[in-house]
Amino acid sequence: MYNYDSFDVEFIRERCAQFRAQVERRIDGSLTEDEFKPLRLMNGLYLQLHAYMLRVTIPYGTLNSGKMRQLAMIADKWDKGYGHFTTRQNIQYNWPELRDVPDMLDALAEVDMHAIQSSGNTVRNVTADHFAGAAADEIEDPRPVAELLRQWSTDHPEFQFLPRKFKIAVTGSPNDRAVTRAHDIGLLMATRDGEPGFEVIVGGGLGRTPMVGQTLCEFLPKADLLPYVEAIVSAYNLLGRRDNKYKARIKITLHETGLDELREVVDERFAAIRATYTGADQLRLREIEQQFAPPALSTKAIEPFETAKRYDPIFRAWSDTNLAEHFNPDYAIVTVSLKKHGETPGDASSDQMRLLADLAEKYGHDELRISHEQNVILPHVHKGDLPVVHAALKKLGLATANVGLISDIIACPGMDYCALATARSIPVAQQIATRFDQLKLEHEIGPLKIKISGCINACGHHHVGHIGILGLDRAGVENYQITLGGDGTEDTVIGTRAGPGFAYDAIVPAIERLIMAYLEIRADAQETFLQTYRRLGADPFKAALYPTQDKADAA
Amino acid sequence: MPLEAPLAPVIERVADLNARYKHHSATAVLEHALADPMVGSIAMVSSFGAESVALLHMLSVMDRSTPVLFLDTEMLFEETLIYQREVADKLGLHNVRVIRPDRDQMFARDNSGNLHRSDPDACCVLRKTEPLQKALDGFDGWITGRKRFQGKNRTTLEFFEDEDGKRIKVNPLVHWTPQDVSDYITNNRLPRHPLVAGGYPSIGCAPCTSRVAPGEDARAGRWRGAEKEECGIHFVNGKMVRGNETEVSDANVVVSDDGFGGDDWTGGFAPLSEPQTADVGLDLPSDTMPENLSGQLDDVTLIRVDFPSFADGRGFTIARQLRLMGYKGRLRARGHVIADQYAMARRSGFDEVEISADLAARQPQDQWRARANWQTHDYQSRLRGVI
Ligand code: HEM
Ligand code: SF4
Ligand code: SF4
Repeated sequence: MYNYDSFDVEFIRERCAQFRAQVERRIDGSLTEDEFKPLRLMNGLYLQLHAYMLRVTIPYGTLNSGKMRQLAMIADKWDKGYGHFTTRQNIQYNWPELRDVPDMLDALAEVDMHAIQSSGNTVRNVTADHFAGAAADEIEDPRPVAELLRQWSTDHPEFQFLPRKFKIAVTGSPNDRAVTRAHDIGLLMATRDGEPGFEVIVGGGLGRTPMVGQTLCEFLPKADLLPYVEAIVSAYNLLGRRDNKYKARIKITLHETGLDELREVVDERFAAIRATYTGADQLRLREIEQQFAPPALSTKAIEPFETAKRYDPIFRAWSDTNLAEHFNPDYAIVTVSLKKHGETPGDASSDQMRLLADLAEKYGHDELRISHEQNVILPHVHKGDLPVVHAALKKLGLATANVGLISDIIACPGMDYCALATARSIPVAQQIATRFDQLKLEHEIGPLKIKISGCINACGHHHVGHIGILGLDRAGVENYQITLGGDGTEDTVIGTRAGPGFAYDAIVPAIERLIMAYLEIRADAQETFLQTYRRLGADPFKAALYPTQDKADAA
Repeated sequence: MPLEAPLAPVIERVADLNARYKHHSATAVLEHALADPMVGSIAMVSSFGAESVALLHMLSVMDRSTPVLFLDTEMLFEETLIYQREVADKLGLHNVRVIRPDRDQMFARDNSGNLHRSDPDACCVLRKTEPLQKALDGFDGWITGRKRFQGKNRTTLEFFEDEDGKRIKVNPLVHWTPQDVSDYITNNRLPRHPLVAGGYPSIGCAPCTSRVAPGEDARAGRWRGAEKEECGIHFVNGKMVRGNETEVSDANVVVSDDGFGGDDWTGGFAPLSEPQTADVGLDLPSDTMPENLSGQLDDVTLIRVDFPSFADGRGFTIARQLRLMGYKGRLRARGHVIADQYAMARRSGFDEVEISADLAARQPQDQWRARANWQTHDYQSRLRGVI
């Protein structure tokens, strides 16, 4: 866990004071709304029709109990007692008053947090693998690098007014849990001849034009990271389109400029910028790394875990789905599902936040993570403590055993909250979850990622869902398109459209047909939906989705 | 989650709306314009001229409370002012807002009331464009009565137009002919502008409107003898027709760490296309790729980089690149840079910022000086070992 040093503390303090003054200057007319907008966005403050929304960054998804309790306090004091965890490792508060926002920012600063660059056309919150520092398959903890990038991008003078937002993700594990290929820059930690470095991917993104990123540099030595990233963003700042916001992301720049030409510009800039970095950044990185030293793990019996597993079927189901392998076999990574059947994915009440803080402090080496799948993670829990943790979670509705299963759905806010939406998405997620809970098939179906977006902006990542659902508006009527075979892991695949869309009341039955077909045609119980899809292709699934049409073809 | 929910860019909404309402009638277009969320908040702009009453009547049937902006240029015919009140009363339009030119600006720019003779474009800017733009601030769109038959620039008008990416302009009557208008007025028994009978089929400001002979184009009487066709409220190819822009730049303010100052540079500026000398400043547009300038900067002592909008951050990277290429002379940012960007400008390598007198008035010196401490709390210096 990174703790601010005096430099960070003074910076944040000054920044909060600046924002307080900007709010006043907006009110006295020195700043037009046009001019104020990017300034408030830079500080995480959005405005919709009647309400402001404050989006707080959780850098690389890492929190401790103190931070989590402060987030709960803010939810109680300035919001309606809950917060919403998003797919970008942020927490959003939906009901703050403009005049309270400077106080909220001060409260965040007290626990080394801020809302800087959580929106606006700038380098956004750097995201990382949510299992970082705990996963068994990790080469190296990506968070020190993410923290270095956070410091580098914060208030970067050149890059506060880019053509469009710019997102960077880092992973230190070959199993990519950070969807790096769907980011403007994705960094995959790697080694070459024993030297640490990165494979650098550019130009990925979802949204209305989904694209899988391409490799700009096969191997970048670790010490070259900041100048190289700076060269990319610098090239993008001048080459990126500013005439059309839907063509302004670097993925389009890459597409229009070409990989080789972009590389040429980047390399030329890199050569000049590299010389300005004399090693202070690497010293900084060393200091940061020390703060991410692994926790002092304890050695004690794991018997309670084995016993509970044997005698408590509910605990067993939960441990089957919600635990992941820790680098220490006596430990587990616990994913706490914020996807209770029928609830809004990603919402957590202040009581739930406080409970999670308590559990982290008591049983989790004081660490918490937010995943891009909108769940909360306790990365270091001794197996012997799991039954107690599970029992505590159960009390506040946090023990849903569905991580990675059909009801662990990512859904964007859709028509219920979002003004851009063309269809509802949360109710669709709730109905799918409830339906398969009724059918008691969830565990039988096994790993399956359903992702739902309420419009083509794809906030719900539907392109990379094994089953993606995109809600559209067809002549005033909601219509849901299904995509199949998407995958957000290291071999990122954009899903393929299955065919014509479904009406609101036909979408859940369509998903049910799809799942029933899978259960029928899978090779065995071990073969996941995605594997079956890859083995057999789309045809049997299409036949299940469009039965009448199939008959018509046969006739 | 109530996130920022901007409407799609005007240009896209306009294309969408035009496709959607392609085959609709004037009334349907107007009705939708009033209700469609894609259009947003809307006002009608009316001159209460010869044909205006048709559209005003249509509006009054649908929603009498719609804001109607009436632009009193203070050069109108007395008849128009009387007719305006009469029509508003009769149709029950109870949200007519009379827009007038700004007092101080009138005093400064057209004290004698003769500007329309020497420079009708500038006069229109002062009396129409500026007040109207100000009045339209806060609206997402406006409704006008323009029609295709009215003149050369208008022959390709659509129902919905993109006003420079800022607003949607709705023209429900584009396809109407003079006969349609006349029929509509007769059928609905609407009062006519008293001057129509006197031979004015198109009525604007008194000094700029003359009678039209039978057979002549209806708008031929507007700005007769001048090349002018549009009054400047409207836009030709997305550009506003306006007067000489460089006039005000004398009053530009140059901001440095010491605060506001005048411009001590007397050599003027020239673009890259002209030969470079040490006495003349080099003006660079915001789409410059600095790489292309290598070898051309040896003799230059001042470079000025344009910021067309504060949201366009290219200038920061241009400055940084120029410094990295070894340029050591004076470097100035010029245009729409706001006080909150001063530290960014300085950190990127600019020495100073040149802003308009207007901006300097709105964001006085203190707001810029607040960032004169740009060297502190700078992560970049820290990571580069400069502090
Ligand atoms: C409620 C209103 C919301 C609005 C109006 C909104 C708007 C947008 C828009 C316009 C884009 C496309 C940007 C582009 O491609 O340049 C976008 C992308 C995105 N949004 Fe949202 N969003 C909302 C809520 C959310 C929420 C709650 C989340 C997280 C749970 C989210 C996560 C994302 C992500 C991850 C992307 C990135 C897709 C990409 O970069 O490829 N959004 N959003
Ligand atoms: S995908 Fe569309 S509907 Fe969903 S949150 Fe994003 S913008 Fe809103
Ligand atoms: S129409 Fe004539 S008088 Fe009226 S503002 Fe334009 S130039 Fe001036």
